[in-house]
Amino acid sequence: MKVKKILFYLVVASVFLYCLFPFLWTLQTALKPAEEVFRLPVSYLPERISLENVRDVFSKRPFGRYVLNSFITAGGATALTLWVASIIAFRLRAMALGKAMRIQRWFLVGAILPPALLVIPVFIVMKHLDLLNSYLGLILAYTALNLPFAVWMLHAAFRQLPRELDEAAVLDGFSSSAILYRIILPLSRPTLAVAAVLVFIFCWNEFILALSLMPSQAKYTVPVGVALLSGASVYEIPWGEINAAVAITTVPIILVIAAFQRWIIEGLTKGAVKG
Amino acid sequence: MIGPEDVGGAWGEVISRFHAEQPDIMIDYISGPWSTDERQNMYIRSFLAADAIELVYMDVIWTAKFAAQEWLMPLDNWFTPHVRAAFLPGDVEAGFYQGHFYRVPVRTDVGMLYYRKDLIPEPPRTWEEFETVCNRYGNPPERYCIVFQGMQYEGLVCNYLEYLWGAGGTPLDKDQNVLLDGKENISALTFMKKVIDSGWAPRSVITFQEQQALEFFEQGKALMMRNWPYAWTILKRSPLVGKVGVVPFIHQTGKEPAGTLGGWGLGIARTTKFPEAAWKFIEFATSPEAQKILHFKRGAVPTRRSLFQDEAILKESPHYRDLYDVLLKARPRPIHPEYPRISAILQKNVSAVLVGIETPAAAALRMDRSIESVLKGKRHSWPRRLLLDYDLKMTLKNTLIFTSFSVPCEFLLGLFFALLTHLPFRGRSLSRLAVLVPWALPTAVMAMTWQWMFNNPFGVVNDFLVRIGLLREPIDWLSTPAGAMFAAVFADVWKTTPFVAIILLAGLQTIPGELKESLSIDGGGRIVMFFHLLLPLLMPFIRVALIFRIIHAAGIFDLMWVLTKGGPADTTRTLSLYIYDLAFRYDEVGYALFLTFLFLICLVLLSLLIVRTTTFRYERI
Repeated sequence: MKVKKILFYLVVASVFLYCLFPFLWTLQTALKPAEEVFRLPVSYLPERISLENVRDVFSKRPFGRYVLNSFITAGGATALTLWVASIIAFRLRAMALGKAMRIQRWFLVGAILPPALLVIPVFIVMKHLDLLNSYLGLILAYTALNLPFAVWMLHAAFRQLPRELDEAAVLDGFSSSAILYRIILPLSRPTLAVAAVLVFIFCWNEFILALSLMPSQAKYTVPVGVALLSGASVYEIPWGEINAAVAITTVPIILVIAAFQRWIIEGLTKGAVKG
Repeated sequence: MIGPEDVGGAWGEVISRFHAEQPDIMIDYISGPWSTDERQNMYIRSFLAADAIELVYMDVIWTAKFAAQEWLMPLDNWFTPHVRAAFLPGDVEAGFYQGHFYRVPVRTDVGMLYYRKDLIPEPPRTWEEFETVCNRYGNPPERYCIVFQGMQYEGLVCNYLEYLWGAGGTPLDKDQNVLLDGKENISALTFMKKVIDSGWAPRSVITFQEQQALEFFEQGKALMMRNWPYAWTILKRSPLVGKVGVVPFIHQTGKEPAGTLGGWGLGIARTTKFPEAAWKFIEFATSPEAQKILHFKRGAVPTRRSLFQDEAILKESPHYRDLYDVLLKARPRPIHPEYPRISAILQKNVSAVLVGIETPAAAALRMDRSIESVLKGKRHSWPRRLLLDYDLKMTLKNTLIFTSFSVPCEFLLGLFFALLTHLPFRGRSLSRLAVLVPWALPTAVMAMTWQWMFNNPFGVVNDFLVRIGLLREPIDWLSTPAGAMFAAVFADVWKTTPFVAIILLAGLQTIPGELKESLSIDGGGRIVMFFHLLLPLLMPFIRVALIFRIIHAAGIFDLMWVLTKGGPADTTRTLSLYIYDLAFRYDEVGYALFLTFLFLICLVLLSLLIVRTTTFRYERI
């Protein structure tokens, strides 16, 4: 029995290592002093912790600017997505379940397409609207992309609230928008929070649209900035700085999902699968 | 303007002197990536976005394309024949497109052969002499005979053309007919391959650009090097000073030597609001004063004839007397608006020959047909073109390979993770968190991490495999076709397994515990339980996960774009990368949309399949 248990935990430990290794490796490279990064044999733990790479990323390159751009677009898109999604989900809730599900299924078709296929049409539309290199353009694109998912999650949550609430509210003279904003949304706060976290992460991580819709360097988001980071020559790719940039981008995400882990799994499974 | 990182501060000084003379005009030097392809893409994206970078610092080969797209402003009124006469004729010629002038040469370049005077008594002039010299003086792996630029990028085309011209061939004739299926091309490719296969050049040249070749040569590990004039300046500051000579590149006996003309020049974006100011800067940046700064600080070869007689310059670079004659014989690459695609085809096929995944004869034939179909492709209707589209066939094949390896792995591993994290044990929620991590991290950003981990020799993958004895020596993962595909599949499996795990975990949670209990009371073992209870009940979830993954693996973009860029030799280029290139690099938006549309239809059909397969669940709720 004991042997079995030890074996079991060995398996669990290797799953841990497999999932976390690339992140940990980036973290340890980022914390190495510049000269240790390019030393052979490879050292598995930094001999000396140094923030040199992190500092260089911000001082030698407009990385702070990229972070700001990412916050503006991801934040804006999250707010807009949740607002529109809650209105749609509220409408769906008012319908018969079968009909609402049929409509949602059509959303599914849109949500499943990889962004690589949407990028050219979206680019053309944004170009004609004169929204390239503009925060608004990317925010609109992200909203469209994440809307179906947000609608599912919110719809699933709204459905659980009893209809009697609405009826009582109508009797009290509430308009339908007041019902949404003053009853339904406050009651669905946990789901809203999880949806916000997830949509924010999706936008923060998105690459191809950001690359195409924001071609000017001053408008790069973090993933684009990291992917296009390069040095004076191919031979001198600044791996220390790149790993520092990767670490700066990923550490906050890991902290956030650590904080929301239980609800994220619940929300994902409810939204993406049951819906 | 965008240029590479301003090492040595040459551009900084030119710009600050200009600011001192013209305080009202602000010039902003954007430090772009070292890769010229990437900088060109930055310009193209800026033109397409109608937010053009006003001063266009361009490679000689971009001119035709940028001019044909009407992105540049003709400079005929400023760059009069009188002004023109002061510059090298080849560089001026390369600035013309259909009779108008678009690009003022700032620095020129030509490919040539560096050799160790102290080790080789007489530099080889022909291929035959080269072979003799290599066999006599080369001693790999301590000392190879030659290094050049063999990576799949523009520099490879420059190298290849020197062999092709040296064999008496040329890619396009005056009437733009493709001439690449002849014996000249085959013998050029065969000889290039021979240079690597005979051990005259190290196998790693297929990952070299200029800088790596130079470092290799500088360390004394090669007798000869094909490179640009800039290398001279760097070699002068190295221990090799005085031991290096320069000659034109080798050629076949009885043919003429030729060096590829390169160089950078400045143009003005058509949409600029300040053409006069931009011209003033160009005038300054191409003045003798500025060219000298760029020469002394950056090793740039001037484009003004007079500077080749300048005493200060000749004192610094006495070889400029010889270089001047080589420059007068330099040959430009094909001047054609479709040059980028011509080059891409050449790069890919030459690379395929060097890597060893294609024979010279087959590659020569394919080059010829592919370029022919690009130059004439626009005359065909889209559906017809679809059938002729060679790149489409290849990228479709890569996409299928990628999908068929990654999806099954992801699925099995995801199922395993789901079953594991469904079990009750201490630390379960922590392990669920660990499984979530790869899913939540940005693909494009983590692709950089994977690139680092697969790096040779500093990557942890090589180091680890060597340490535990699975590998005898480090592998260059990302520069071999199988290695790059493996790395891509591995990274994708890592990234997307959690998605499968989450969906299947959700499925497991819908199965009531009583069912399992009653089955185990009936005497069902674990295996029976798995195949007769869990799998059937999980089926709808499995279907969703699989189809979702198939669609996304087929549309993969981020990971490939960052990790392999589709290389080496396009062996990891997938459909999405091809369509993206068509739209954003080759301006074939119409055809790209057509392909997107077809791809979309296929995927929508798949999506509808999902809807169908999951429908009965909704109805039941």
